[in-house]
Amino acid sequence: MDLTTSPEQDEIISSSAAFLRDRLPITRIRALFDEPSNVDDAAWSGAAELGWFVLGLPEALGGVGFGLADEVHLFREIGRGLATGPFLSSVLGARVAAFAGDAALAEAIGGGQRVGIVIPGSSTLIGADGSLTGPLQLLDCEPDGLALAVAPDQAVLVRVADLTGVAAVPCIDPGVRLRRAEAAGAVPVARVTADVDPIQRRGHVLAAAMLVGINEAVRDLSAEHAKNRFQFDKPIGVNQAIKHPCADMAVRAQLGYAQSIFAAVATDEGRDDADYHAISAHLTAAEYADISAAATVQIMGGMGFTFEHDAHLYCKRAFVLGQLFGGASSQLGRLLDLPSAR
Amino acid sequence: MDLAFSSEDNDFRDEVRTWMNENAPRDRRPRELVAMREFDLAWQRRQYDAGWAGIGWPEQFGGRELPLTQQLIWYEEYARTSLPPIDARFVGLAHAGPTLMVRATAEHQAFHLPKILRGEVVWCQGFSEPEAGSDLASLKTRAVVDGDHLVVTGQKIWTSFGPVADYQELLVRTDFDVPKHKGITWVICDMKSPGIEARPIKTIEGGQEFAEVFYDEVRIPMSNVVGGVNNGWSVAMSTLSFERGTAFTVSQVQLSTSVERLIEMAKSRTSINGRPVIDDEALAKKLARARADVAALRSLTYLNISRNARTDQPGPEGSMLKLQDADLTKRVYKLALEVLGTRSLANPEEEDDSYWVDRHLLSYSSSIGGGTSEIQRNIIAERVLGLPR
Ligand SMILES: Cc1cc2nc3c(=O)[nH]c(=O)nc-3n(C[C@H](O)[C@H](O)[C@H](O)COP(=O)(O)OP(=O)(O)OC[C@H]3O[C@@H](n4cnc5c(N)ncnc54)[C@H](O)[C@@H]3O)c2cc1C
Repeated sequence: MDLTTSPEQDEIISSSAAFLRDRLPITRIRALFDEPSNVDDAAWSGAAELGWFVLGLPEALGGVGFGLADEVHLFREIGRGLATGPFLSSVLGARVAAFAGDAALAEAIGGGQRVGIVIPGSSTLIGADGSLTGPLQLLDCEPDGLALAVAPDQAVLVRVADLTGVAAVPCIDPGVRLRRAEAAGAVPVARVTADVDPIQRRGHVLAAAMLVGINEAVRDLSAEHAKNRFQFDKPIGVNQAIKHPCADMAVRAQLGYAQSIFAAVATDEGRDDADYHAISAHLTAAEYADISAAATVQIMGGMGFTFEHDAHLYCKRAFVLGQLFGGASSQLGRLLDLPSAR
Repeated sequence: MDLAFSSEDNDFRDEVRTWMNENAPRDRRPRELVAMREFDLAWQRRQYDAGWAGIGWPEQFGGRELPLTQQLIWYEEYARTSLPPIDARFVGLAHAGPTLMVRATAEHQAFHLPKILRGEVVWCQGFSEPEAGSDLASLKTRAVVDGDHLVVTGQKIWTSFGPVADYQELLVRTDFDVPKHKGITWVICDMKSPGIEARPIKTIEGGQEFAEVFYDEVRIPMSNVVGGVNNGWSVAMSTLSFERGTAFTVSQVQLSTSVERLIEMAKSRTSINGRPVIDDEALAKKLARARADVAALRSLTYLNISRNARTDQPGPEGSMLKLQDADLTKRVYKLALEVLGTRSLANPEEEDDSYWVDRHLLSYSSSIGGGTSEIQRNIIAERVLGLPR
């Protein structure tokens, strides 16, 4: 039993953090805000060249062959940097293609073809044959591209062109692009069941990792402000009404990180309680990031209420990531139905 | 990164589990204090006789000096077998004992440490005073040097197991004229010395182990001073990191066992509206959240133990575990009362459900004893995040 990072993981952390800082800084969100696409093509190709989209795919399927615990460290940096673009769904999409036997598609996604994700509505259905039906929303999907739809028991890739009524709608998070659409039995181009590869479980863990990065980012933002903002001739951080929420952010960040790596390793090791831990990771990281980001807005004062400051971007991304894979309400229900953890 | 234990560790777990199952005390732990003391010490002796005393203690002092992962396994199995709480044995095994190991003379070590391991004595901690709680260094219990004795006069409070303790790690003020941290002395106090009176204080759940202790010109040999006169503050702080991340393992496993039992109860019991308790959606969601939060706390323990296994200098992360353990303990046992519904009104002494009521009442102490949660938050903010004092 050892949950400390390996030298390879330390390398993933430092190189991905450096790449994101140079190529996809948070300022890109505002720079691209009025553009139809939130993707920076050059940075996306750069990420593909670094192997980000197939990092956790087995070598036999054309991937780099790392584990989910390694991918967690990449996604934690993506979350921390609020990087724009469908990183999570593209990584999962490459897996769906690869495990469905479509090596060419997996390679294309690994090389930079993007995959967005379906946010199911209350009556969205993925049938036993993988066909998609019902009204739904699309996150970071391109009109001529692919969308990933995930349920606990299976995951499919569909063509956005096979959906109807695709229309852009404004999204709460200026860093993502939302569309509304309708599916009428859209036939998947690739399909994988959870017993072959548990896409939703991996999705929970990687969403959790991004939320951990957000939690850590707002913790650091708040702590810096608490030290440097003076009122009444003292740094505001001497006041426990500021100090204690910062301490709680530090605790939540550690808890969220610990649970996401625990869940990732449980998945890598094929433990029978991996779903339990993956759902727990997503639930806790989402709740913790949400509380911490909201507290950060408060600690920033008036500045926190502006579009110009980053605080709201963390709140909004945390909210979006919390909605993935069923959202809290359905995840709580699933967690309660599972047998207890080991 | 891996979660799998080595085959050696798995064998160890089997061995521990077998031993615990065969040796768990059959009788219920008495509530009456003297009987409780005897019960706890008998249990310690049983562990000693089987070679299980002081699993984290250095071999040099008669301990097992198990690697951290095996200590983790020991505590996990200990909690799963519902073995007696460390309570009366805590100060000796986890605070005063480890302090003696690093700061006392060889004679004191040779005299006291084996008695602690063998379950012959109960130690208590005389730190807090009526006017010195969180601000411990402001303590005022006075000790004057008189020849080869210290003469102690004053009062301590919240002394757990004070009325039945043999020895006490006692903090006294030996110098009133220097900054407060610099005039404190750590001394071994024989609780049978003339001039000591321990008065019981009844606790929130009716327990008897609390006491206030009065000292009226109590004469303590100078040779009982550990670490030198006026060096007591550093002596008292020297064992803060002794547990290296394992301190809350038992509590966490109990939390997770409790949450599972509460889920079972919520499924099998009927609420006042005639439906299974679990049908209350708000309650069901709280139970599910408790599952997730308990899982995260356990993961943090594993992470801390992994990190501490690689360093001799554990950081302030221990405060994070303590803080979260306290918050979650209070939340889970409050939830227990929600699952019990109106049954939680019954007098704790009469009903079988009393276990949960007791746990709930006891949970209030988790954010007070051993340094309050507010103080933990100060520590985390100042030492982890570097916020100003
Ligand atoms: C179950 C239990 C067992 C104990 N056993 C022992 C024992 O064996 N030996 C022993 O010596 N002591 C023992 N204690 C005492 C314990 O260490 C103290 O109760 C604790 O340190 C708090 O001190 P206090 O009670 O004086 O509260 P105070 O320090 O007066 O605190 C009162 C309130 O004010 C808050 N507060 C105080 N200072 C600050 C600050 N700077 N910032 C923010 N908030 C602050 C506290 O958090 C608390 O909420 C025990 C306590 C409990 C509950």
